[in-house]
Amino acid sequence: MQETRHQFREDLKELERQVLGGLDLVISQLDRALESVSYQDVELAAMVVADDDRIDGRYLEVHQGILSLLARQSPVATDLRIVAALLHCIRCIERMGDQCVNIAKLVPLSGHDAPKDKDTLDAIERMGQLARSEVSQAKDALSTRNVELAQDLVRQDAEINRLNRAIFKRAVEIGDDLELREWGMFMILVARCLERVGDNAVEIAEQVVFVVTGLFREMADIGASAETARSS
Amino acid sequence: MRGTLMLATGVALVPLILVIYYLLYKGLSSWSGSFFSTDPTGNFFGNPGGIRSAIFGTLEIVALASLLAIPIGIAVALYLTEYGKEGWFANLVRYFVDVMTGVPSVVFGLFIYIVLVISHAGGSGFAGWKGALALALLMLPIVIRSSEVVLLLVPGSLREAALALGAPRWRIVWRVVLPTARSGLVTGSLLAVARGMGETAPLLFTVSLATAATANLNGLMNSLPLQIYTDITSPRDVIVARAWGAALTLVALVLILNVIARLISRRSSMA
Amino acid sequence: MIPPETTSKEPKEMSAAEERSQQAEAAPDLAAMGEQRKGHGVKVRDLHAYYGAVHAVRGVDIDFPANEVTAIIGPSGCGKSTMVRCINRMHEEIPGARSEGSVTLDELDVYGAGVDVTAVRRMIGMVFQKPNPFPTMSIFDNVAAGLRLSGTKSDNLRERVHRALRAVGLWGEVKNRLNSPGIGLSGGQQQRLCIARAVAVEPEVILMDEPASALDPIATLKVEELIDELKSRYTIVIVTHNMQQAARVAKSTVFMLDGEVVEHDETTKLFTRPADERTERYVTGKFG
Repeated sequence: MQETRHQFREDLKELERQVLGGLDLVISQLDRALESVSYQDVELAAMVVADDDRIDGRYLEVHQGILSLLARQSPVATDLRIVAALLHCIRCIERMGDQCVNIAKLVPLSGHDAPKDKDTLDAIERMGQLARSEVSQAKDALSTRNVELAQDLVRQDAEINRLNRAIFKRAVEIGDDLELREWGMFMILVARCLERVGDNAVEIAEQVVFVVTGLFREMADIGASAETARSS
Repeated sequence: MRGTLMLATGVALVPLILVIYYLLYKGLSSWSGSFFSTDPTGNFFGNPGGIRSAIFGTLEIVALASLLAIPIGIAVALYLTEYGKEGWFANLVRYFVDVMTGVPSVVFGLFIYIVLVISHAGGSGFAGWKGALALALLMLPIVIRSSEVVLLLVPGSLREAALALGAPRWRIVWRVVLPTARSGLVTGSLLAVARGMGETAPLLFTVSLATAATANLNGLMNSLPLQIYTDITSPRDVIVARAWGAALTLVALVLILNVIARLISRRSSMA
Repeated sequence: MIPPETTSKEPKEMSAAEERSQQAEAAPDLAAMGEQRKGHGVKVRDLHAYYGAVHAVRGVDIDFPANEVTAIIGPSGCGKSTMVRCINRMHEEIPGARSEGSVTLDELDVYGAGVDVTAVRRMIGMVFQKPNPFPTMSIFDNVAAGLRLSGTKSDNLRERVHRALRAVGLWGEVKNRLNSPGIGLSGGQQQRLCIARAVAVEPEVILMDEPASALDPIATLKVEELIDELKSRYTIVIVTHNMQQAARVAKSTVFMLDGEVVEHDETTKLFTRPADERTERYVTGKFG
């Protein structure tokens, strides 16, 4: 027996596929942006900036698709939560794309053959890996509706926040060399962008929990230990 | 196919047209002022008179019969549709009513004859009111049948609406069902009256014949069907002509009633 | 039948005041009914209803709070209409139908011994799916019918009829033709006329059995707007198979399936986060 509202289910699945695909785009953008920072690759950075159009385009597609679905199908209950969550997620994706662009734009500014600080570079690399893994895990949590996976993201995000603070501290203490100090400031900006990517990934995780449980809880306050249940 | 049906229609129409033709041909000539204003004299020779008493008699007897048959008939129909519905008793009543519509009219006449005429009930033998009773018995099942049909046409949603407003059942019948069915009930009753007007046999055994116009329902009365019955076998042509005139009058009366019934039903469906 | 035009070919502009008063007459005006009165709640406990041997309603417990709109949704044949008709004792009018259990209007047990059925129906009014104004009566008589049929003596019949028409927002449309036949109105107007008829009797509770399902979308919205106004004076129970309507109109919603109550919750919660899997499947259209 064919399920009722067949077209509606198809349309909803398609929207979700587009959102998950958007997360893939973000991951690839992030990879390239980080690579361009590590190797001072200005051309690669330029490509990242140009390719953000794809993410923006994806945002418009999903947004339009959601409006159309709301107008035509009047989703309720779980379907309604999914639609609301997808709208939220595609917004986060668009912001993450913008953060990748910000990182890429910093590459030419931080100068060629500038002196580099190994600790900072290591920290940035570590942050990049974490951010990438957060986005990837958010994607998995969303596609499998896995609440535990979503809640685990907070743990990783705590680490990113720590690294962000560490890089800031290092830049303050980096020394008297003007060029080095300048480079250090740019690295602060890169770190900040990565930290924002992590926050957006956490927001996506919150939406996953919302879809499954119907309850919306801010996960930033939860921390690595057992979540404190807030009255809904 | 079409040809066959047209043929059947023709076969049915021909006698009808012939009847009307004969009625007009033979009866119209005896219509006159004195025809309607004088009573039949009953004399074999001389002036035969008109049919005034017959007309009066028919009107009086049928009026009484209607007074009996119509209210009772509608009441029974109301019982069947509002209270009895599909109950065993209601179905029994319906069965009997159906049987009654098939009873030949002469049987009603005989029944009243045996029960009321021979026994001289009410202090008289043949009497107008007894004839009216016989006619009423004849008209009753017709009224019941047609009224039930009309009452069933009243949408159940109206009754529901009235019930939901907190109306007791009798008030629903009185203020909703009857007004809504009114024109249909009137039509059905008029048709029953038209039928009753033309019946000869019941009157034969209950009213017999008289010549003078009278308002005394407790005695012999004249009526159109009986006048025709007695006149048509007369050897005198002018009396036979009178019979035709009376027949034409009767048909005219029935026609008028039918037209009134049509007008009423047409006006109500123009809401 | 086309209702007569009320304005001849006059210039289109009206004064602002005229326009405002016309709009005011078109909007339902419950204040016309008089001073505020508190409604009464209905409690249904362990209600069973049968059509002969068919067990249509199986042990239903629901509270209908005063001055609130409660919607009943569910697939065809789930017993929602039957259950509602047990509240004003219309169910027993069907040959072979019977019911058990208790229905109380505040403290009054509607099925109590010695309780007059017609009095119950005066306190619990009903509006049906297909508008059913009395065809032989004028607009005025239709609204007055509630009072006349139930035998309520009232000295100010005229006033009560006018008030009821104002209350349902029909006044502006019919004030010049109160004596024309009730069935000459459009479907939506007829339904509002039936609501005025029910309201004129001043019941405590108004039951509505799919009141808008025979109406076009604009008329539906007008009826829904009216329901929203009516709740300030009456307790309203609305049976509907249109979920969006339940969502728009009702504060709480009951979902029934196979004669039982599956879920009864605040409308928003039922439609965003239903607790029962069956409710989820029904409202999202996975079966229907």
